[in-house]
Amino acid sequence: MIDLLQSLIDGLGRGSIYALLALGIAVIFGVMHMVNFAHGELITVTAYIAFGVVVTTGWGWWAAAPLIFLGAVGTSVVIEFVAFRWVRGASDFTMLLTSFAVHFLVQAIFVMTMGASVRSFPRPEWADRIWSVGELNIQIVDVAVIGTTALTLAATVFLLQRTMFGISLRAAAEDFDAARLMGVKSNKVIRQAFILAGALAGIAAIFYLMRTGQARPTTGLSPLLKGILAAIIGGLGNMQGAVYGGLLLGVSEVLLRSWLPEDLVGITDGAVFALIALFFIFRPQGLLYVRSAERV
Amino acid sequence: MQGLLSSRVGSQLAGSAVLVVVLVLGGLAYASSGAPARDILVTQMLINAIMVIGLQIYIGNTGVLSFGHMGFAAISGYAFALLASTVQRKARIVPDVPLGLDAVSLNPLVAAAAAVAITVVAGLVVGLGLARSGAKSGAVAATVITLALLFMVHEVGGAYADLTGGRNGISFSVGRGLDGRMWVYLALIATVVLARLFKSSRIGRMAQAAREDDLAARAMGINPARGQMVALILSVAVVSVAASLRVFQLGTVAPSTFFFDYTLLTLVMLIVGGRNSIAGSVLGVALMTVVNETTRHLADVEIDGGPMDVLDIVLRPGLTDIVLGGSMLGFMIFRARGLVEDWEVDHWLRRRFGRAEPVPDPLKAAPTPAPAQLSAAGVTVDFGGFRALERAELEASNLEVVGLIGPNGAGKTTLLNMVTGLVKATEGTATLTTRSGPGSGAHSATGGEPFEIARSGLARTFQNLRLFPALSVRENVSIAALVASQHRAGPDRPSVEQLLVHAGLWELRDRRARELDYGNARRLELVRAAALSPAFILLDEPTSGMSNVESVAMIDEVRALASAVGAGVVVIDHDLAFITGVCDRIYCLDQGRVISVGTPTEIQADPQVQAAYLGAAAPAATG
Repeated sequence: MIDLLQSLIDGLGRGSIYALLALGIAVIFGVMHMVNFAHGELITVTAYIAFGVVVTTGWGWWAAAPLIFLGAVGTSVVIEFVAFRWVRGASDFTMLLTSFAVHFLVQAIFVMTMGASVRSFPRPEWADRIWSVGELNIQIVDVAVIGTTALTLAATVFLLQRTMFGISLRAAAEDFDAARLMGVKSNKVIRQAFILAGALAGIAAIFYLMRTGQARPTTGLSPLLKGILAAIIGGLGNMQGAVYGGLLLGVSEVLLRSWLPEDLVGITDGAVFALIALFFIFRPQGLLYVRSAERV
Repeated sequence: MQGLLSSRVGSQLAGSAVLVVVLVLGGLAYASSGAPARDILVTQMLINAIMVIGLQIYIGNTGVLSFGHMGFAAISGYAFALLASTVQRKARIVPDVPLGLDAVSLNPLVAAAAAVAITVVAGLVVGLGLARSGAKSGAVAATVITLALLFMVHEVGGAYADLTGGRNGISFSVGRGLDGRMWVYLALIATVVLARLFKSSRIGRMAQAAREDDLAARAMGINPARGQMVALILSVAVVSVAASLRVFQLGTVAPSTFFFDYTLLTLVMLIVGGRNSIAGSVLGVALMTVVNETTRHLADVEIDGGPMDVLDIVLRPGLTDIVLGGSMLGFMIFRARGLVEDWEVDHWLRRRFGRAEPVPDPLKAAPTPAPAQLSAAGVTVDFGGFRALERAELEASNLEVVGLIGPNGAGKTTLLNMVTGLVKATEGTATLTTRSGPGSGAHSATGGEPFEIARSGLARTFQNLRLFPALSVRENVSIAALVASQHRAGPDRPSVEQLLVHAGLWELRDRRARELDYGNARRLELVRAAALSPAFILLDEPTSGMSNVESVAMIDEVRALASAVGAGVVVIDHDLAFITGVCDRIYCLDQGRVISVGTPTEIQADPQVQAAYLGAAAPAATG
């Protein structure tokens, strides 16, 4: 029982990060009907920001965290402005390949400027501290990420339900053409969606980088895949589902690690891809949601 | 000579030859003027051309973005290396190789053939997964499935060292190696011809129709999964041959030989020239090879200045990748269809050497067709909690034009969708009964996939116009005629050309469908439905967006086309002048129920109809 509770807390700690990334992917899918394979690049860019701030300037994590957040939002806006704005309304093929092109391009830029090798930076020393409650050993960073994620999600719900921005975003996700006819400006709502996705990824990045303490050109791939897997578990484009999918993924990952022998759980990118593929083949509507019929 | 060039297959063969000759001569000219490294570069370019055309066969014809083809290439490369390298070499590099492969050492040709066979089996398995996921153009599901293949093969290649030699891979030498280009030339010619003929083949054109509009293709009797599977298998076979050649030429295969870098390179080559064109693929290969060579020289000067490993030429990280990623992004934004779109050399050859086409004979009315009856009974359709149709019914014979009217949301389109299999009914059935010839029994078709229903004799159009936008006007119609020739009985069908003349689209026959103005696009969709030679044509708002004059002219067009192919018509429309002019009988629906049936005059006089439909419109007209 204690073991299960322990796994649950560890899993929610991981899952919070996945949930924030998945929610960003779902928001973009909602307005552009595209799975954004460039979403992981927000983590890559901010990893180098973290490296720069923590190692080069020595300002430490209290300075790094807000810069990571701003860096993710800024990168998201730039990517939208440079790439996605121009292919809105193009064929699915074009949009999909555009997101891959951005993914490749960011990676190549870092290989060229920073080299392919891993840059490590120190993690904040409080992150590894353990807080013991009875038999439970709770990592401080887990408490921090779960708490921050809960606050972020509450703020996001408020934003989506109560503000003009949120209402236009949800309307655009339901039916883009109808939303435009009702006066929603498409460029604006898409830019705002990228800002929101960037902000969510920025918060995820702070805690993800605190855990890993590494930057390299491919840093973003693994969290990207987890985010996509979480989004498809929740049913692609379903924002609520994406959050549940992320939490579910985090908990099942931790449970898998505690039950399976150690050498079976080296979960690789290939295995995550295979899982995503299996979902697309056998349960594209996700585990949690039934989609309405396609309009013809 | 002119006969050869003006015939379809002849001009395609000649065009393929032109492509190969230009690419090879260009390469040889470059190689003859420099170091031996250039020789290797040219061989690599030719092998890349085979690889990229292999990609074109699948990605170009189906529009499915596959990242997995280098996964197939890796499977083939390892199979080739394991089968072809010598026993002694294997004892040193992979001493614990399973399946008794340690004792096998085949002739390279046999090894390559075996590698193709193994890779095709893998292709079949992946193809089933793709079909299950409902792959269509730009579908993210298909892309993820193929990415999964790429990563899994890569990881197995790195981890299962007994079989694959781990991270270092398998290096080997076979006989004298690939010292001549004879096999490369042969494979290149075969590939170009195969890809060009496939593009114009029946199955290839059906795959392209599904690429352009999956739903419209299914409503035209095309099963997209079939064309995609055939394209995948052909494409995988070609990629496998190219992979064996590449491994043979490199003298090594490792997990990095066929992974992201090579995927990126080949994909950019494909999209730069034009993924829908074989000429475009070849152009892209040539162009990107030149660009890569140039950036490599620039990078040499700026960054290291030292000599480079020849085998790394195209895999060098850094500047080359930035150029590739940038090209990919730039082309997606500014010219997503590539430099030449779907142009082929034979298009030019035939325009240059071909003869003018005679205008075909005018269309004659078909002899009275064998009777057919379309009936839907007790149809109820629920969308979640919303009941769109409640025990609706429809009866139509193929000698009449039947109208469906009713206010918006009455369930008219839902009824049409249910009859054509796009929407499943909660209750009730739709049946098409045809008597195919004198004395033969009644043939009845219900349920099933939309493409099966279309083949059984129901052709339809869509409220929001679903043409195959990148295909020409003539191709749009001939796809439907192709399905008709395979699945619809009947000897004296009007030809595609006659139908085009009849609809006034003859002069526009070589235009792309997306270039047509609205009225012509509507007419094209109608002609395409008629070309399926159906028992019934189902029209969903054929006059929406048309002016009064145009919609009145549409009355005659619909009637004439229907009688030319011997089909009945079921038509939904809001235009009263049109619907009363064209219909023999009218069904009026309201809130999912049929509230009245009768001739146009009876319907107009029915008080229930006036209340539900005309009555609702009257205040708006007066106010």
